[in-house]
Formats: sequence, C-alpha cells, structure tokens
Amino acid sequence: MIGLIEIKRRKMQFALIGLIVTLIAYLVLMINGLGVGLNEQAGSALENFDADALAYSDGAGLSVIRSELGADVVERAQQVDGIDAAAPLGYVAANYRYGDGDVASAAFLGYDPGTVGEPDVVDGRPLEADDRFGLLADSAFLDNADLSVGDTVPISLRLDTIEFEIVGEIDQGNFFFQPVVYLLRDTWQELKYGPDPEEGTPIASIVLLQGDDLVGDYDGFEVVSKSVAFDNIEGVSGQQATVTALRWFGYLIGALIIGSFFYVLTLQRIVQIGVMKAIGASGLFIFSQGLMQVVTITLVGLAISVPLAGVTDWALQQLPDPVPIAFTTGTYITTSISLLFAAALGALFSARQVARVDPIIALGQQQ
Amino acid sequence: MTATLRVSNLSKTYGSGDHAVHAVRNVTFESDAGSFITVVGPSGSGKTTLLAMVGALLQPTEGVIELDGRDVSRLSGRQQAQFRREGVGYVFQSNNLIPYLTARENLLLMRTISGKNGREGRERAEQLLDELGLTSRADAVATELSGGERQRVAIARALMNDPRVVLVDEPTASLDSERGKQVVESLVREVKGRNKLGIMVTHDMAMAEMTDRILEMRDGEMTERNRPSIPDASA
Ligand SMILES: Nc1ncnc2c1ncn2[C@@H]1O[C@H](COP(=O)(O)OP(=O)(O)OP(=O)(O)O)[C@@H](O)[C@H]1O
Ligand SMILES: [Mg+2]
Repeated sequence: MIGLIEIKRRKMQFALIGLIVTLIAYLVLMINGLGVGLNEQAGSALENFDADALAYSDGAGLSVIRSELGADVVERAQQVDGIDAAAPLGYVAANYRYGDGDVASAAFLGYDPGTVGEPDVVDGRPLEADDRFGLLADSAFLDNADLSVGDTVPISLRLDTIEFEIVGEIDQGNFFFQPVVYLLRDTWQELKYGPDPEEGTPIASIVLLQGDDLVGDYDGFEVVSKSVAFDNIEGVSGQQATVTALRWFGYLIGALIIGSFFYVLTLQRIVQIGVMKAIGASGLFIFSQGLMQVVTITLVGLAISVPLAGVTDWALQQLPDPVPIAFTTGTYITTSISLLFAAALGALFSARQVARVDPIIALGQQQ
Repeated sequence: MTATLRVSNLSKTYGSGDHAVHAVRNVTFESDAGSFITVVGPSGSGKTTLLAMVGALLQPTEGVIELDGRDVSRLSGRQQAQFRREGVGYVFQSNNLIPYLTARENLLLMRTISGKNGREGRERAEQLLDELGLTSRADAVATELSGGERQRVAIARALMNDPRVVLVDEPTASLDSERGKQVVESLVREVKGRNKLGIMVTHDMAMAEMTDRILEMRDGEMTERNRPSIPDASA
C-alpha cells in the first residue's frame, strides 16, 4: 500500500514521529503500571482473599480498620442465606523490629486454621492451633526485613514487645501499603484488645464469605462484593482517580501530538493529495492511507515501548526499595489498544483537510 | 449517429467582477472515438482550462460536455472521482507523479485506487513501460527520473486504466524531438488501436501534424485550423 511505501521511502520524516509515539506509549504504560502497582500495594491481599464477599460491621463505612464484629454478629454473618463457606478475619497494623533496630509496620491478619481465611503457604508450614506466637509472613515482608522462615521477629503493640517465630512464607501481597502477616485469630485479638478479653470484645474485623447473592444490609453488618470492598480501601479511590486522570491525560496528549503531526504532514502533502484526487483517488482512499500510517507508526511505537516497559519493570524490581509499578498482560493490552484508538482519533483531525483539497491544484496553475 | 464527445457552448470564468478571467468562451466542438485532436494556441488562451473541464477536474461556468451521451460536467463528487480514474487518462502539464513512488508503482497506483490489484494490471504496467522505453527505469523513484522520463511515466499512467478519453497537456515539453515524436506516435497508436478519444495540447506543430485535426484557441475562443492536406476524421 502506498501509505506504507511512503514510510519506507521517507524514513527520517517518520522516524521522528515514531520516536515521539514510542515515548508517549512508554509514558502511558508507566502511568498504567503505576496504577496497577499502587493498587497492588493498597490491597492485593484483599484481592487474594478466597472469598466472594466481605461482611463489615454496621457503621464502619466499609473500613476494615473501623469494622469490629462481636461473636453474635460473626455467628449471624456465617449463616446468611446462600452462603457456602465463611471465615472471620481480624486486622491490625503493628510495628516490628528488624536488623539493627529498624522499625517497620506490617498488616497483621488473624485467621482460623482450616477455614477459607487460611492463606496458601509457599514455604515452611501452615499454622497449627497451638502456634500462639507463630507467623506466616509475606515474601515482601521477608525481603524487606531480610528474614526467612525459622527466624524470630519482635512485634510491638501498645507497650509490649513479643517475639514471634516465622513458621511459613506466603505470597498474599499487601494491605494498606504494608506487607501482610498472618497469625492466629486468638493471638490477633490479644494483640489488638489486650490479654484476657472481656465478654463482648470483638472477635473479628470482617468475615470472608463464599456463596452467591450475599450482598446486602443485615442486622448489625453489611455485606459487599470483594471489588466494592477493594474500592473502599482507604486511599484507593483517590489514588485511582489520580491515576485515571493521568492516564486520560496521556491518551489525550497522544491523540493531540499524533494528530498534529499528521495534520502538518497532510498540509505538506496538499499537492500530492490534489494529484491523487485528480487521477481519481477518493478522499476515503487517501485518508485511509494516512490512517494506515498512523496505525503503523503507533504499532511500531508500541513494539518498542512495551518491551522497554517490561525491562523497566524488571529493573525497578531489582531496587532495594520496591517502586509501586507493576505490569500485567492486561495493562499492556489495554494500553496498546487505547493508544491505537487515541492515535486514530488524532488522525481524524486531518480528514477534513484531506476532503477539502481541490484536485485542480494538480494543474499547477497557482504557483 | 451522435458523436462520442459533444462539447456545446462551453465557458469558464475564473473569479468575478473586475477580476473575472474569461478563460474559455462559448466553445463548441464534437469528436468521435478513434480520433485524435490537437489543441494549439498561445499561452493563456485557455487550453488547459478546456482540457480540465473535459477531464472533470473543473466545473464549467456554462455549457455541456457529453461523453457517450452522458453529461460529465455535472457529476456528483463521487461520480467525478470515478470518471477521473476510469474514464479519463490525464497527462498534466506538470507531470505530477507521486514523488516517492517508483515509475512502476506510479502506474500500479492507478489500479490500486480503482480497487484492482491483479496480475492484469502488472502486465499492463510492464507493457506500457516497455512501449515508452522505461523498462530499465521502472524501479527508479520519480524524483530520480529525468524530466523526459517523468513525462513518459505520466503518459503511461494516463493509459493504465484503459480510459475512454486521453487528455494530454504539453506531453513533449521536456522531450527531444525524436523522443517526442515516438511518444506522440504511441499515444496516437493507443487511441486509434483501442478506439479511444484523444485530445492533446501542444505548441509543436510537427507533433500536431501527426493527429487528425487541429483546433486553435485564442483568448478563450476556438477556431478550426484549416488543414486541407490531411482529411478530417470527424467530418
Ligand atoms: N485558477 C485560476 N484562477 C484564475 N485564473 C486562472 C486560473 N487558471 C487559469 N487562469 C487564467 O485563465 C487563462 C487561461 O489559462 P490556461 O491555463 O487555460 O491557459 P493555457 O492555454 O493552458 O496556457 P499555457 O499554454 O501557458 O499553459 C489564463 O489567463 C490564466 O491566467
Ligand atoms: Mg496550459
């Protein structure tokens, strides 16, 4: 096709726009990677829950931090109509010390072994009912603290500091931008509310639920789907709104820059377009050649920037402090398709210009 | 029997008021298929304007152009484009090739814009390249061709889609007289052999003598040149 031949024969002209498209594609990929990365840090552990829905206490506003469930409510939540399985889960943030007295915090989740709340152990062993001071720590936690299965770690909460033993490694991700650590729910309750709890002390923060059509308001608790729960994690919606705005901005810039470039190219080619029309080419044919050029250049830009983003991702993972950028196949695909779309939209600016060229300029009279 | 091409009372005025240029005034003539007309006349006399109207590049201000009984001066934009790519072969005064395409690709483009990319087109391109002595330059891009070579590619391009009407504006301007003669000969052969209708604008009387009939433009008006030595094919 002649649009492609033109790219081949006028490489320099097109190399420039190719470079710009590559950079824009890279930028948008990074923004989208940041969106995915931030989300993972905000709550990949919640995404990884083996549940369809989550129950929160009434009035907690779907905040895991504020949600507190007493024994009676947990009992009722586990008997909601349509339920297949359920497990209470406790959450508390606590600091731990590592290395030369460095302090960091982690998200501690209390669960009951044998329930759907139990995470998969990738190394070591799961917790037993008598592992009162045992932990299942996320890989990220172990990497951060330079610890491994079998080590002990001092956890401080309130005024106490207790030594815990890491008995297993899990790969559950993060919660509230902190790596997760699983422990027994009884220990969690002790950590959060102190030893020897009185009658009526909450026994869980949330309840994980499996089953169909569970969502709704109940007596003392409300049940929402996992994705609603995710969106309500503190900070997620604001952060995602920012990333979404950046992303749209990226696509807009892409459409504008690619559009302007092809607009200028169209203006430069007015005489040629006139000649094409004079020999009988339709405006549609001429425009489609330009569109094909836009799509080709964008595809080339993506073919360079996608692997480049992959390499960047790999390089960032090597850094001692992990950067919240993550790529999934989905990120690459949606970004690519959206950018192609934006580029084609940008090319539409030139359509009117093409349509307006009068073939008589091929006569070369007005010089 | 009606003529293949009937041009009646054709006029073209550029601009209006004080700036109006009456480029073509009340021109009437007829021509049959298989005949080749030459239009001569001084610069600015309206030759290109006349050709452009017959080639549906320009709307007449007044008058009618009928080709095979169809009024081609009042076609819709889409019909005009189709007529230009399939009904007309136009060799522009400035040859107007697509600069980044090779000689061969410039010819094949005629097929592409007509939605035909078959073997037939490639064979036709080779045949025309051969006829016009361009085979050895077929893979050179237009900007690397000499003026004369470009002119010949433009002629070959005009013949690619086997059009009913061949319009040629100063085809020999950048050719030496021997090459020019050959080019006009192949044009005449093409028009006669395929029963087309040819109109050529030239300043070169030697070239004009090779055609059936000579029309002269002067200030936008047309007169037939008397040429008793050669019988008029349309008579
Ligand atoms: N687009 C235009 N706008 C205004 N005037 C024009 C335009 N095109 C041509 N003219 C004028 O119309 C007249 C006829 O022009 P045309 O190009 O038809 O002459 P020509 O016989 O082909 O001349 P030449 O031998 O120099 O090519 C000239 O006076 C020219 O200046
Ligand atoms: Mg002229």
